[in-house]
Amino acid sequence: MLGPSVAWYLSVSAFLFGVGALGVLLRRNPLIVLLSLEIMLNGANLALIAFSRHQGQGDGQIFALAVMAVAASEVVVGLGLIVAMNRKRITLDVDRLNTLRG
Amino acid sequence: MTVGAWICLLSPLAGALLITLAGTRISRRTAGYLSTGSVAVAFGGAITSFIGLLGKNGEERDHVSTAWTWLSGGSYRSGFEILVDPLSVMMMLIVSGVGFLIVAYSIGYMDGDKEERRYFAYMALFVFSMLLLVQGGNFLLLLAGWGMVGLSSYLLIGFWHERPSAIAGAKKAFVMNAIGDATMALAFFLIILYTGTLSFDHVFNIVQNGDSGISNSTPINLIALGLLGGAVAKSAQLPLQTWLPDAMEGPTPVSALIHAATMVTAGVYLIVRTHVIFEAAPKVEELAAGLGAGTLLLAGLIALVQTDIKRVIAYSTMSQIGYMFLGVGLGAYANGMFHLMTHAFFKALLFMAAGLVIHALHGEQDIRRMGGLRTLMPRTYLAFLVGGLALVGIFPFSGFFSKDSILAAAMDHGWYGYVLWVAGLAGAFLTGIYTARLFFLVFWGEPSAFVQEHFHKPKRDVVGISLAAPVAALAVLAAIAGWIQFAPLWHPIETWLQTVAEPLVSPAGWQEAVSSVLAVVLGAAGIGVAWLLYGARTRRVPRLAFAQRTLEHKFWFDELYDALFYRPSIRIARGLGRFVENPLIFGSGRELGQETRALGGLLGRAQTGLLRTYALAIASSVAVLALVFVVVR
Repeated sequence: MLGPSVAWYLSVSAFLFGVGALGVLLRRNPLIVLLSLEIMLNGANLALIAFSRHQGQGDGQIFALAVMAVAASEVVVGLGLIVAMNRKRITLDVDRLNTLRG
Repeated sequence: MTVGAWICLLSPLAGALLITLAGTRISRRTAGYLSTGSVAVAFGGAITSFIGLLGKNGEERDHVSTAWTWLSGGSYRSGFEILVDPLSVMMMLIVSGVGFLIVAYSIGYMDGDKEERRYFAYMALFVFSMLLLVQGGNFLLLLAGWGMVGLSSYLLIGFWHERPSAIAGAKKAFVMNAIGDATMALAFFLIILYTGTLSFDHVFNIVQNGDSGISNSTPINLIALGLLGGAVAKSAQLPLQTWLPDAMEGPTPVSALIHAATMVTAGVYLIVRTHVIFEAAPKVEELAAGLGAGTLLLAGLIALVQTDIKRVIAYSTMSQIGYMFLGVGLGAYANGMFHLMTHAFFKALLFMAAGLVIHALHGEQDIRRMGGLRTLMPRTYLAFLVGGLALVGIFPFSGFFSKDSILAAAMDHGWYGYVLWVAGLAGAFLTGIYTARLFFLVFWGEPSAFVQEHFHKPKRDVVGISLAAPVAALAVLAAIAGWIQFAPLWHPIETWLQTVAEPLVSPAGWQEAVSSVLAVVLGAAGIGVAWLLYGARTRRVPRLAFAQRTLEHKFWFDELYDALFYRPSIRIARGLGRFVENPLIFGSGRELGQETRALGGLLGRAQTGLLRTYALAIASSVAVLALVFVVVR
């Protein structure tokens, strides 16, 4: 096995995931929130692929491909929503979107 | 022969189904013809069975025909089977024969009613139920017929359902009958418990030939009591008699068919059919006779003051069935059945003649407003005269032959028999008074103002003929049917029923003679008293305020039952509603709802609508879970 050990990859993955999570929690612009979600997903993908290589099996890579497909469709829907909101001149702030409050 | 019996049983059912299914596709008149035709076919079937039985010897006249096994469980088995023996054939002939005449009469009487088809379907259904009752080959079918008779009686009493009094009468009849049904069902459970079967033959065999301990034991007494409960409820005897007068709210032909000729005699049939059980419980059998005697006196007294033409006849029915109970309770089965037959004729005749009067007076039933109908309706007058004389038991009309032999049988039963005998004679005197009172008030004297204003003659069309012909036929039967059996000289009915129910008493010739003479003299004396009071009006009706009030309130039986059962149960229900239902059942439901809502409100606060709090919650829970997993590993 060439290259750095699996721990490095996992560290990068955890770092990416953490950045994404912080972005989701702290930012209020839905566009950025969506962006951070994508970063979280890619962090997870990196972990999957790293483990896959570490184990010498292809399962994780296949799974990563599936995640990418889902992420792509999610982005389509999410961006569509955000564009629609912008067109209706709704403020792009997730804290204002609280009509479902119990 | 059994084929005839099956046709007899199923033809009225087919008629009822046909009328129901055809609905408005057939005219009302056609429904009447269908119903009448189906009962006529039943009568034909009964006659074929009768002829078939005549061709056999006495011992072979007992056939059970099973269509299929109806119920089976464990070792218990009941078939859908009918019994053809002398007793059931006799009842079949009476039910379908008199039933045919009455349904035919209904075509005229119900003409113009807007729900005629329903009426005729019910009528055919009733005849079917009654035939099922008398033909049922085991106790289970007997009970089925018993219940169905109660149901169709309920439907017919409440036929004019827009009248509140008719509905009340129907409900009362149903509840009273249900009490009897319940005691009978309990008796049948006991029978299954002790014999393991409900077939007539087996049960009677076990009771008759089982070990000697069974006679007069507690179980057999309980069984007999349960059966007696059913019998007194259906036959309107003490203490369940109160429903019969209120049942007069139904149409008059219904009163004639159900509450005179057939249904109310079912109790008598039951006692004769199960006489083996009653003989093993002599105390209960004597109780039946005593109840009969009590009822015949009570009903005779009440009939003296009634003012509704149908109610007078209804009370006389109770009284006459009292005679039958008296007879069969003492073991004079053939005499009781004979009186059942003649009573079916003359009482149906009286009811239908009364129906003619009511019809001619536009539905008026109060005898105080009638009078002087003798000249206006001479033929009805004659028919009523024949029926009345037969009811009082004047020679040579049918009541004379049947009633007097019951009284004679009572003389052959020790001191208890003599007590009942005296009651029966007093009843004969009362019968004379109330029958003649009714007769004189309705037919004699000058036509009252009401009659002059409202009387209209029946026309000679289908309606008129359908009304007149059955009355004429019954008048002939009521006049001559008694000659079938003249106790001292010839007794074909006793011979006919001998294989089914051997009489326990055999009165001597002098007892027959004494009873006959006394009964006729007392009956005639009753007529004489009524003549003085209501016919010639030379004496004023004595005024005894208390007695009159007692009689008009029917000895306060209704009030007594009201106070004993109705009011306490209402009070219990109110109390339960107030202290159990409201606080416990409703209260717990209400509070369960309230608490759940409060809890929901509390949880609802967690839903802030802020996306980022949700995300934080999810992230922190996942972090906690991850920590837990790591630590637990």
